[in-house]
Amino acid sequence: MTESGFVIIDGNELTCEEGETILQAARRAEIEIPTLCHDDRLTPAGACRICLVEIEGSNLMQPACATRVSPGMVVRTVTPRVDRNRQFILSLHLADTIQDRNLAEDNSPSRLHDLAERYGTSGQWTPVSSPRQGRPSDDNPYNQFRPDRCIACSLCTRYCDQVEAVSAITLAFKGARTTISTADERPLTDTTCELCGGCIDVCPTGAMTEKAALAWGKPERELEKVRTTCNFCGVGCQLDLNVDRSANRVVKVTSPPSGTTVNDGNLCVKGRFANDFIHHSDRLQEPLIRNEAGELVPATWDEALERVSEGLLGVAEEHGSDALAFISSSRCTGEENYLMQKLARAGFRTHNVHQCAAT
Amino acid sequence: MTNSIPEIREADFLFVIGSNTTEAHPIIAMEMKRAVQRGARLAVADPRAIWLTEIADWHLQLKPGSDVWLLNAMAHVIVTEGLENRQWLEANTENFDAVRETVLRYSPEEAETVTGVPAQAIREVARAYASTEKAGIYYTLGITEHTCGTDNVYALSNLVLMTGHLGLRSSGLNPLRGQNNVQGANDSGASPVFYPGYQRAADPEVREKFGAAWGVEQSDTTGLNLNEMMKAMGDGRLRGLYLMGEDIVISEPNVGRVEKALNELDFVVVQDIFFNESCRFADVVLPAACFAEKDGVFTNSDRRVQLVNRAVEAPGQARPDWEILLDVMKRVGLKQPEYSGPSEIYSEMASLAPKFAGISHRRIGREGGLQWPVTSEDDSSTEYLHKDGVLRGKGLFQPVEYSPPFEETDPEYPLILSTGRTLYHYNAATQTRRSEGLTTKQPEAFVEIHPSNARKLGVQDGQLVDVVSRRGRVRCRAMISRQVRRQAIWMPFHFPEARTNYLTTDAGDKVTGTGEYKVCAARIETVDQAAATQASFPGSYAAAVEG
Repeated sequence: MTESGFVIIDGNELTCEEGETILQAARRAEIEIPTLCHDDRLTPAGACRICLVEIEGSNLMQPACATRVSPGMVVRTVTPRVDRNRQFILSLHLADTIQDRNLAEDNSPSRLHDLAERYGTSGQWTPVSSPRQGRPSDDNPYNQFRPDRCIACSLCTRYCDQVEAVSAITLAFKGARTTISTADERPLTDTTCELCGGCIDVCPTGAMTEKAALAWGKPERELEKVRTTCNFCGVGCQLDLNVDRSANRVVKVTSPPSGTTVNDGNLCVKGRFANDFIHHSDRLQEPLIRNEAGELVPATWDEALERVSEGLLGVAEEHGSDALAFISSSRCTGEENYLMQKLARAGFRTHNVHQCAAT
Repeated sequence: MTNSIPEIREADFLFVIGSNTTEAHPIIAMEMKRAVQRGARLAVADPRAIWLTEIADWHLQLKPGSDVWLLNAMAHVIVTEGLENRQWLEANTENFDAVRETVLRYSPEEAETVTGVPAQAIREVARAYASTEKAGIYYTLGITEHTCGTDNVYALSNLVLMTGHLGLRSSGLNPLRGQNNVQGANDSGASPVFYPGYQRAADPEVREKFGAAWGVEQSDTTGLNLNEMMKAMGDGRLRGLYLMGEDIVISEPNVGRVEKALNELDFVVVQDIFFNESCRFADVVLPAACFAEKDGVFTNSDRRVQLVNRAVEAPGQARPDWEILLDVMKRVGLKQPEYSGPSEIYSEMASLAPKFAGISHRRIGREGGLQWPVTSEDDSSTEYLHKDGVLRGKGLFQPVEYSPPFEETDPEYPLILSTGRTLYHYNAATQTRRSEGLTTKQPEAFVEIHPSNARKLGVQDGQLVDVVSRRGRVRCRAMISRQVRRQAIWMPFHFPEARTNYLTTDAGDKVTGTGEYKVCAARIETVDQAAATQASFPGSYAAAVEG
């Protein structure tokens, strides 16, 4: 197709653009086609076959994620044959993982089970019991691969190849033995892996999970997600702190869906995993003031603030306000930086205020 | 950034200079990888063979501190081959001739002798940059942390202006901000030269405006920047310090001098989430809430103001910095409105800063992050800058001449030391070193040494060595790596027990005062391994500070 043209999907005449897939055209028209192995950040794999649709003039159904539209194409996404295929595929994948939804979702939610509930299955099949191997000796700090839940959709390996582009994990072996592994089955820390955790994020069955969250023991659905902005570098990734309300604790960090925020669903090792500091026992929990012996000792807020005020005012009185310096922080919020410079400029009439970075 | 982060994936040419993007800005690096997979060409200028060079079409492995030579030589190629965008630059810029005259003296051949980058590569990259429409420049502290940092930025902006790579999608000049809210802290006026919204403190009308709004007449004395503050602490001009959320004795250059100066002060308050190294010098330490325990906004590299939302309660008596600051303001007698919370504080700032006038917490909550300028409720987010012509009217060419780094190598200190961040740690590392996973991955400080140097010195990979500069001595592990140039070494600065900033120089850029973390002269000394291992408990390698 050289320029835009028309396709008909489920009777709707749609304008479509060059190079567009059936899935993309359908989505624009809000026609829902289920996908399992698809992710907008990746080139389509057409591996899971759940998105097969009927195309007029073709005996074989085609994957909507990987098939490009052509002018005049007539596509049907709601037919008994399409439905039967979806249910068949879902049963097939379910037989290859933990079938019971509650057990399957012991940690992260399972998109596979979600789809099975929405589109139905063709009954519960005998478990495949595929002899898929994990890497039990992989002592990397974050990522736990649970082979009994893997359906070999390859989302994780393709993410690793195409988005993080480090190709640390790969599909290994053939047939029912197909599994996710590394070169020589080495631990992740001994590969090119940069521990971004994207494999955990894209996994539709919870086969890739986070060790710490698994150890905490509460499924994600019982945690409250609080959307916020990452506190490390200047990219401004949006992330969801998953909070166990009863314990006042951030249990893990997940990324918002791709296509919704500046980070497009991606996070790095720090954003996703470096949250131990929040609840670390080293956190300062009470004000300290230096006593006459020169030691820092605990004090009340009232005492500490009084000492701050005396100290600052004392210097200003004796040496003038310009003998004070206020160092604000590019780690703190915009409002806090505003207040710090206001304290300097309005409280002490000095412009001696700066912060730690000057890119 | 003049562009937005999501525009990177659509670029056709990326010029990355002085940015180890995969380690310092991993998510921006993902966008760059995506562009390259799409077929974009990538040129990386960096003294080290960083990860991005693996997928780059060109790696310009310049000598640290020679950026002006490299960039002027690229400009030389553009003007001598007639690749400049005449029409655009005549309509949108001024002072081109001055730059033209200057860069004619910077031939690629001569640049090769100074920078070590082959003239042919300089020509190719200059041509590719000038002739690709969607061509973006991305830089970080490798450009700014030099005594000639401002000149480096001017040299880059000259390239942008002569090729007209501005005001277009995926095409612009993009500093990647190093910290979550560097942009926001500057936006908020935490700067001696700017009030909130980049209104100049030197301008009497601006002072008048803020004086009236706050009910306090404003000082007309010029304030000190951070670099000047550190020096003024030492010479008695400063007597008191309020330090919030920064560990200056880890992160400032030449920290030996900073420590000495801190001891001289009459009064020091440190406000932080951990008992950091600077707390040792404090008269009062105030416990603060971390980002997960408070509300507010962070502004990212592409000027996107985004919400920070409280998820959990702060531990013990720790309180959000904004609450503490308000209490301090009241105690020192500065009457403050009864703010209901950060959203009202933001509104006060927005009412005084036209660039943010249309931004509020409520609107961000509704629409997602907003990219300033947003000048009114009806104004929308600004995806990329200079769309309707250069903001200041005419883009100003600034001719720059090469000036050598503050410190050059000599027989006593024959190596160039550069410092930086790694993927697994973050600055003073009070947060990341408390993450078990990250410390497993990267437990301790190291110095990258080229194999040829290591051979000469008889240093084995993993062995403890001393890195020595005119200012200090730091013990850490040798990491033998072809990533660095032969005459260069590289160290991260995250480790308090091997404090890299004992070594660095506090010579600063003449305009911004930003320290020259990227270049100082150093040498490597081998140490008695048995004795070194025994004594290598934290703190033991603290420098013998000279001068």
